[in-house]
Amino acid sequence: MEYAIETFSLTKIFSDWWGRDRVYAVDDLNLQIRYNEVFGLLGPNGSGKTTTLKMLLGLLYPTKGKTLCLGGDVANPKISARIGFMPEESYLYRYLNARETLDFYGRLFGLPSKLRKMRIEALLDMVGLKAVANRPIGTFSKGMARRIALAQALINDPDLLMLDEPTTGLDPIGTRQIKDLILHLAKRGKTVLLCSHLLADVEDVCDRIAILYGGKIQSEGKVKELLQQTNKKQIITDYISDTALDKIKQIVRDEQADCVITSPMDKLETFFIRTVTTAQQLSSPTSGAISTTKIGHFLAPQAHPENILDELVSTSVSPEVPSKPPTTKQVIPAETPEPKPDEQLLSKLTEQAGPPESKPVVGTKPVEPQVSRKEDVKKSILDSLTGHSSTQKAGGEQTDKPQAGDSGNA
Amino acid sequence: MRSIWAVATNTLKQAVRMKIAVVFIILLIVLLPAMGVSMTGDGTLKGRLQTFVSYGFSLTSFLLSLLTIVVSVYSLTSDIQQKQIYTVLTKPIRRFQLLLGKLLGIILLDVALLVLFSAVIYAIIIYTPKFYKASQAERAQLDNEFFTARAGLIPPEVDVKQEADDTYNKLEETGQLPPDVTDNKISRENYKKNLEQSIKLGKRAVAVGHELVWEFHNVKPLDPNQSFFIRFKYDVSVNPPNLQVFSNWFAGDDRQLKYGAKVQTPIYSFERKDLIRTFHEIEVPADCVAEDGYLAVGFFNALLNNTVVIFPPEDGLEVLYKADTFTANFIRAVFLILFRLIFLACLGILASTFLSFPVAVLFCLTIFFTGIISGFCLESFDYLSKNLSSIYSYTVRPIVQLLPQFDKFSPTKFLVPARLLSWSLLAKVAFSLICIKAVLLWLVALLIFSYKEIAKVIV
Repeated sequence: MEYAIETFSLTKIFSDWWGRDRVYAVDDLNLQIRYNEVFGLLGPNGSGKTTTLKMLLGLLYPTKGKTLCLGGDVANPKISARIGFMPEESYLYRYLNARETLDFYGRLFGLPSKLRKMRIEALLDMVGLKAVANRPIGTFSKGMARRIALAQALINDPDLLMLDEPTTGLDPIGTRQIKDLILHLAKRGKTVLLCSHLLADVEDVCDRIAILYGGKIQSEGKVKELLQQTNKKQIITDYISDTALDKIKQIVRDEQADCVITSPMDKLETFFIRTVTTAQQLSSPTSGAISTTKIGHFLAPQAHPENILDELVSTSVSPEVPSKPPTTKQVIPAETPEPKPDEQLLSKLTEQAGPPESKPVVGTKPVEPQVSRKEDVKKSILDSLTGHSSTQKAGGEQTDKPQAGDSGNA
Repeated sequence: MRSIWAVATNTLKQAVRMKIAVVFIILLIVLLPAMGVSMTGDGTLKGRLQTFVSYGFSLTSFLLSLLTIVVSVYSLTSDIQQKQIYTVLTKPIRRFQLLLGKLLGIILLDVALLVLFSAVIYAIIIYTPKFYKASQAERAQLDNEFFTARAGLIPPEVDVKQEADDTYNKLEETGQLPPDVTDNKISRENYKKNLEQSIKLGKRAVAVGHELVWEFHNVKPLDPNQSFFIRFKYDVSVNPPNLQVFSNWFAGDDRQLKYGAKVQTPIYSFERKDLIRTFHEIEVPADCVAEDGYLAVGFFNALLNNTVVIFPPEDGLEVLYKADTFTANFIRAVFLILFRLIFLACLGILASTFLSFPVAVLFCLTIFFTGIISGFCLESFDYLSKNLSSIYSYTVRPIVQLLPQFDKFSPTKFLVPARLLSWSLLAKVAFSLICIKAVLLWLVALLIFSYKEIAKVIV
């Protein structure tokens, strides 16, 4: 029981009807993924990643060998109730709208309706599709459908999440969000299996990776160990004077080593997210997905250590969830039950919250996110548990947002 | 259970939103009233309604059958083809639950549509007589022969084998067998069969001045104040003048006459003059049926006649009585269609577990049309394979027997002549069509689906 996923000489041979043209899609694969590990399965197209995943999920039967997920057989509903799966393409019912889709999958898990509704709203909020939740999936763009596919995989708050090419078709913010989400889930003790050929994604989040080629593991190990150039060192500093730089160069030369000095480049991803966030703050209209970097509160690390808390939160939080951070001023008055007194309170609060919040967004200097983030999240839980008004919660979430965006940078 | 229901409602939504069902609904909603107005039948009110029931029910049942086939096949094949099944089957749902959910969804759709359309048909039938002028007689005929559910009783066939054997033995003993038999030109078996035939006919023949009495048991009219009908047809040995036969008919409990006691229930008699070789009905008040359901019907070949009167086998004589209301019969007829649709839904699901959409639809349609002409199919198979009896009876025959027999239990067969479709017959159909045939299909579907590699790409 020490492995979340284990395969024993797993083999899959594809052949034609006559048994000719035998192709070893997966060849004698022994994979062991520990609990609470983010594992990346890499490989070029056709290397057997998806086939492995399908065998793990019972959609294909192995020619030889055996798989174990969470210590059991995936055909057992008790096991599959703890697994979330996002397929390589969003295979969704085109005639259902976003909310109905999530409701359908939630009902397959047998979630009680109150919990289901709470999670659906939280997930819609998280993937930024709340505004288009009543449009049929068939009218969605690829990326929007992808977001629903992700939400669908998370509705049961899975212990084991299997993602097949999760970032294809997603915009950089969505990509970042998935990466954040994976890290969050890992923090909560979940296991994630990630299949991808986008190396940057894998590199950012995975603890361990295996590189498949021809259905066989070519290389396996911890990302840091595999990538770290132990014979080289890098120093990153705040701005320092040229004289100080010369001094450093001198020291390095004394060690008989070479050194290169440059200003670190911002990642394009960070720049992109910053630009879009600013545009959203100016309330530019969009018919697509609203980019949030939020994590559904029932998935967030501290939100519910226990299931009982989940139930507790569901009663107090669900009516507050609709508050949407990017367009605070327009949305909140419309959705709160008593508009007039709240509006005044709100404008006061947002005015106060405005200035300190916009600075980190516009400024180029990233802030240290982890410390303040924890405070924010805790505050929101406190709010929800004590049943505070939605205005305070909205303020809390708003400050949460840009920081979450930067967190991947740290 | 919750996941089965989730799949069922999803299937229902699919059928409605993909507009498969809508096409059929519009077609029927337009066609049914149009038919109600345009169908005239033989010109009488009864004829008009009979034609409408016949065509309306046939059309509804046919279109809903097609709809069921298409929806049930599409539902699963599209899931497999468009791979939504990947996200469904990886959830905590067993494969049999998925199939059950699909079936349940289709049945729900069928029930809803069937209720809708049968309500439309029923409303048209009930309201049509109010919009047409008709004589009193015509309306009475309508009530007696259409807005009713009549049970028919045929006098039981008499077993005459013993009698034929006795006759044959007597003939043999006295040496009176015809020369053809003694010369073996005709086999003894055939001769015996001919004897049986003629004795049987003799039992149905009445000479001039003679009487024939049939006894019926279990006659259970719905209401003793109403009438039952003696339906008969004459055959004759010599054509009478004007092709008419004079007769006296009796109906009642003739047992009470034998003991000279006071008559408890009335006994009615009718003097009649009827054309030969056509059907006639005598209306008799139902209070003459005895308490225990006994009824005797007597025919007296009047002395005026010059011919022996023969009641042909099968339909020579029948007692019809109102056993239930039209509405109850109508509802049971609708059930008959529902059973058919459930069978087709199971068939569609079976086909879609191993075939692609177009092939599966074709497969189902073939079975469906074979079911419509199943009587013909069974007969022809039986006839063609007379010489290979043992091989045939163990291989093809069981399979042919498994075909649905839609034609044998067509709702119009009961509603048009206002024949009683009894609950027991309905239960029998349900048992054979649903409990045996449909369940068998479903189990095969489950077997295939359980072992199917869902993600396997088949080109």
